[in-house]
Amino acid sequence: MSFQLIIDILIATVPLLVIFPSLFAFTTWMERKALARIQNRIGPNKIGVPCTRVSLFGLGQPAADGIKMIFKEDIVPRGADKLFHLLAPILALIPAMLILCFLPLEFPWGKFMSGKVQAFMLDSAVIFFFAITGLNTLAIFMAGWASRNKYSLLGGMRAVAQMVSYEIPLVLSAVIVVMMVGSLNAKEIADAQSGFNWFVFSPWGLAAFIVFFIAALAETNRSPFDLPEAESEIIAGYFTEYSGFKFALFFLGEYIAMFAISGLAVTLFLGAGDGPFVDAAPWMPAMWFIAKIFGLIAVMIWLRGTLPRLRVDQLMAFAWKFLLPLSIFNILLAGLSYFALDARVANTTDDVIHYVNSGNPFAGVPELGTNEALMGAMIYRGMAGEQNPMAAKKWFLKAALKGHPASRTLVAWWLGIWVLSLVALYVMAKGLNNLSRSTTKPREYLYAE
Amino acid sequence: MSILGGGIFKGMAVTLRNFVGSYFYKERLITNDYDWRPEDKLPQSIGEYPKEEGEQLRDTTTVNHYSRNFPMLLHDGGEPMDTVRCVACQICERECPPQCIYIEKSEDKTERSDNKAQFYPAKFDIDVSVCMSCQICVEVCPFDAIVMNSQFELSTPDRFGGLLVRRDDLLKSNDYYHKIHPQEAATRDQKMVADKAAKEAKKKAAAEKAKAAAEVKAKAAAEAKAKEEGE
Repeated sequence: MSFQLIIDILIATVPLLVIFPSLFAFTTWMERKALARIQNRIGPNKIGVPCTRVSLFGLGQPAADGIKMIFKEDIVPRGADKLFHLLAPILALIPAMLILCFLPLEFPWGKFMSGKVQAFMLDSAVIFFFAITGLNTLAIFMAGWASRNKYSLLGGMRAVAQMVSYEIPLVLSAVIVVMMVGSLNAKEIADAQSGFNWFVFSPWGLAAFIVFFIAALAETNRSPFDLPEAESEIIAGYFTEYSGFKFALFFLGEYIAMFAISGLAVTLFLGAGDGPFVDAAPWMPAMWFIAKIFGLIAVMIWLRGTLPRLRVDQLMAFAWKFLLPLSIFNILLAGLSYFALDARVANTTDDVIHYVNSGNPFAGVPELGTNEALMGAMIYRGMAGEQNPMAAKKWFLKAALKGHPASRTLVAWWLGIWVLSLVALYVMAKGLNNLSRSTTKPREYLYAE
Repeated sequence: MSILGGGIFKGMAVTLRNFVGSYFYKERLITNDYDWRPEDKLPQSIGEYPKEEGEQLRDTTTVNHYSRNFPMLLHDGGEPMDTVRCVACQICERECPPQCIYIEKSEDKTERSDNKAQFYPAKFDIDVSVCMSCQICVEVCPFDAIVMNSQFELSTPDRFGGLLVRRDDLLKSNDYYHKIHPQEAATRDQKMVADKAAKEAKKKAAAEKAKAAAEVKAKAAAEAKAKEEGE
């Protein structure tokens, strides 16, 4: 192993190992503060700079928590399986950290490196992502089983049932994006969305994003799907017998998993590092990426402050009777719409090319918007260097705005397909919601007045 | 037909309103900042706690007046044991779920404000470490003698004797009660006055009833006598 290789590995991985744990610390503070404010409390506001009275809105709290966690007694129950009790928190953290490598998060190193650095560019990144996320379930069940505690075991079993169920809608909603791009490579998915061509801006993409986000909440055991660690029911679920540094590791793993899955949502649907002023500085894509992750995490915290916990039967019914059929329907719809739209773009391209070939468009009075339409046609035919043929749509839209007739027909089709898809998705979701309503009613209270 | 997922957005709007509102409206934040005091100013035991009248007022009024965490015994002012409302009936001792109240009834009786000789608690101890602040003692007390305090600095270096609060430390005046829980104290006083009036009215009614019954009886007896004589 050469020296250069070691340097390369360090440059690729150290930012992930430094940035995300520090973001984790900040997120715990943000979560506590936001939840407190939602409940009209103050939240942490005492600890700031050590040895002074400067409190900085309680920003020192994560550091104090960390120190406390390290110095707390590490308790292992007498009946516990010691090896697996120790392994579980480590195994919960490692996959979460590993997933971060597949995110198309590029750090420009300026002087040190010639280009941007992505930790690990893999052609099947999306598949690997889901494969490794699945390991998390194992770690959680390991924790529940090894603790030899009924609450831990119940929590572990709930976690397995929940995470296995929600993995399916999660993967199926990601399939939409893979279909659109035709690649599993995270970098290519990110590139396909540059220039505000985000997948969330299409009806099927929006539906897939919502399904993905809900399933991601369940996958990371966040409220309202926090049944595995429901405090009011089973103490702390699989956490129950963990204390001190092992607990901190679990906690860290859970938040890193949140970052990772939000990162995947950003990659798949929210345009990865794309955003306004993205070319202003080399740091902008990374900044946008992290800002979007934080946006999603803020919504997660907001939802945690809003929604009560689901019942187990509601949770299962929601995954199998609502999200799963909806995401399958969404795949069908996306395929059909994409096919129809693609056929229409091809048709328009043929029209434009034919028009250009048949007469000289630059002699006489050129039709309005011909140049834009021609640009679109060239992009669609792959003659303009653009990788994504659907980027042609933008040029056809410009042509239509200038009054190009063929492009106008295309845009009318386009809008029609979008509206129809939205209506179809909404009706489907509404129908499924009515069908999948749990029929179990809460029991009649005997002593209620 | 409602919009799918509309309830979630409605809920999120509520939490957002609370989140933003808590930064702009001071009255939303029910928590008041806790004043840190140097170590030598901290109370060494619960009984010792509010020695100075001013300090007592500050610490119990810094918390919200809905706060309740530990019982206290009420007296109506003056020398505490002369006006104490407790008659050592021991109902609270029996009802207390964690059994943290210990009462010893007095041998003799003392005269109270309503010129009635009553027993008084010779000993009345509550263990802070056992009390779970359930307020059942307050609800069962027929004399409105025990109510909840909002004193919160209950820590002490002595974990045995220090956590056992004695009768003299539990005694607080009704004025103090009015200061810390104004609404509750006012309604309780009204209720006591109403109860007293109702009791008197009942007594009066009972007396009248007895009188009427006696009259009826006398009449019946007279009639019977007349009948007898007639025969």
